Amino acid sequence: MSSINLTLKIWRQHNSDALGNLETYDLDDVHTDMSFLEMLDILNEKLTKEGKEPVAFDHDCREGICGMCGAVIDGIAHGPEKEVTLCQLHMRNFSNGDTIVIEPFRSRAFPVKKDLLVDRSALDRIIQSGGYVSVNTGGTPDGNSLPIPSSNAELAMDAAACIGCGACVASCPNGAAMLFTSAKISQLALLPQGQAEKKQRALSMVAQMDEEGFGNCTNAKECEAVCPKGISIRNIARLNREYLFAALTEG
Amino acid sequence: MWFVRFLSSSIGKKLIMATTGLLLLLFLCTHVAGNATIYMSSKVFQSYADELHSHPLIVIVFSTIFLFIFLAHIGMGLFLFYQNWQVSKSRYSVTTRVVKNTFSSETMPYTGLIILTFLIVHIFSFTFSSSEVPISVTVKELLGGFFYGLFYIVSFIALAFHLNHGFWSMLQTFGLNHPRYNDAISKLTLILPLFFLILFAGIPLYFMTGLGASY
Repeated sequence: MSSINLTLKIWRQHNSDALGNLETYDLDDVHTDMSFLEMLDILNEKLTKEGKEPVAFDHDCREGICGMCGAVIDGIAHGPEKEVTLCQLHMRNFSNGDTIVIEPFRSRAFPVKKDLLVDRSALDRIIQSGGYVSVNTGGTPDGNSLPIPSSNAELAMDAAACIGCGACVASCPNGAAMLFTSAKISQLALLPQGQAEKKQRALSMVAQMDEEGFGNCTNAKECEAVCPKGISIRNIARLNREYLFAALTEG
Repeated sequence: MWFVRFLSSSIGKKLIMATTGLLLLLFLCTHVAGNATIYMSSKVFQSYADELHSHPLIVIVFSTIFLFIFLAHIGMGLFLFYQNWQVSKSRYSVTTRVVKNTFSSETMPYTGLIILTFLIVHIFSFTFSSSEVPISVTVKELLGGFFYGLFYIVSFIALAFHLNHGFWSMLQTFGLNHPRYNDAISKLTLILPLFFLILFAGIPLYFMTGLGASY
């Protein structure tokens, strides 16, 4: 196991109202088999021992499926490796003597709560506005009573892979939440269960997205490139179609 | 009003850009077809211009429609540019773009503004030119000049970049993104701008290089 020495420049901000700034820390003997978050744990242990305030960052499952972690590493959301979350990014992607700049996910709709912690509840409110199917109580329907073409099931599953981490918003040049919203709309629009509410869903979710202060999509494709789950912008085209059709017939 | 709500939403605004963009693309097609007559001879070009202007009503109605389409595309484009600039200014101390082919998309507002400048110059030198000099003479005189010709060529290069991102972006906004057609679309995003670049920028080059000496 090899180890590297790093210089870290981390965004420190006491609370939402405080002005933040980048602080520089030296961290030696970082094992290359560590994950990025384990490296931050080591840093926090060191800071605690020195009597300093540890760096606050979001994390939960640490296996890339919960969508809780995330930061912008040298200008790239979730760091340089493709299709991984920050917790699955390993320190072997960095070299000895590297300076790493770590900043929180930024958007007008994501206020920084502390250091690298951001409030992403704007995404939750988009889902609350229509990202669900209403199910009436009653007997459980038979498993195969609804025929679904396998290609549609696959596309819906690909869209449902979105973990709502917000990397798409953080890396969009305009801070748009189109990739997130399109994934949440597609996973239901592609399935028969989602048909009954599809128009209302598209209208409400886009209205909520605009109200939260996300930017406008300019088709820059950055979101797709940094998405840890590889969500395709084909979903955004589907969202545009769904919204157009809904607005013209039921808006 | 559902219509106002629709058009003021983020996707509605994009749809205005895409729809007006498509109409402007069709306008370019008709314009380039007319201009291509320059490559034949001054006579053919002059007879095309005379024929067109012998139906003043067609010209007036067509110009008025396109004035509004242009205003909608430019006005909405600038408004979106301002809105996006407000969201995106000074976000990160280090910014890295992962997508390589970003030049066209990043410069959309700027190439658009170059085209707008060109449009104003172009209208004042050709549409409102003195009616005593035949248009076929004005074309050769103006576009044969070094700086004027160069300005036209630079503008058409800006147009090519604008169309390179604009064409694909328009189809994406209309919801046209399918593996069966994506290869063809990505080829068209190169072919279409090149087509207009060669035909339009070829005219000043034709006169500047002396190829059109016997025009």
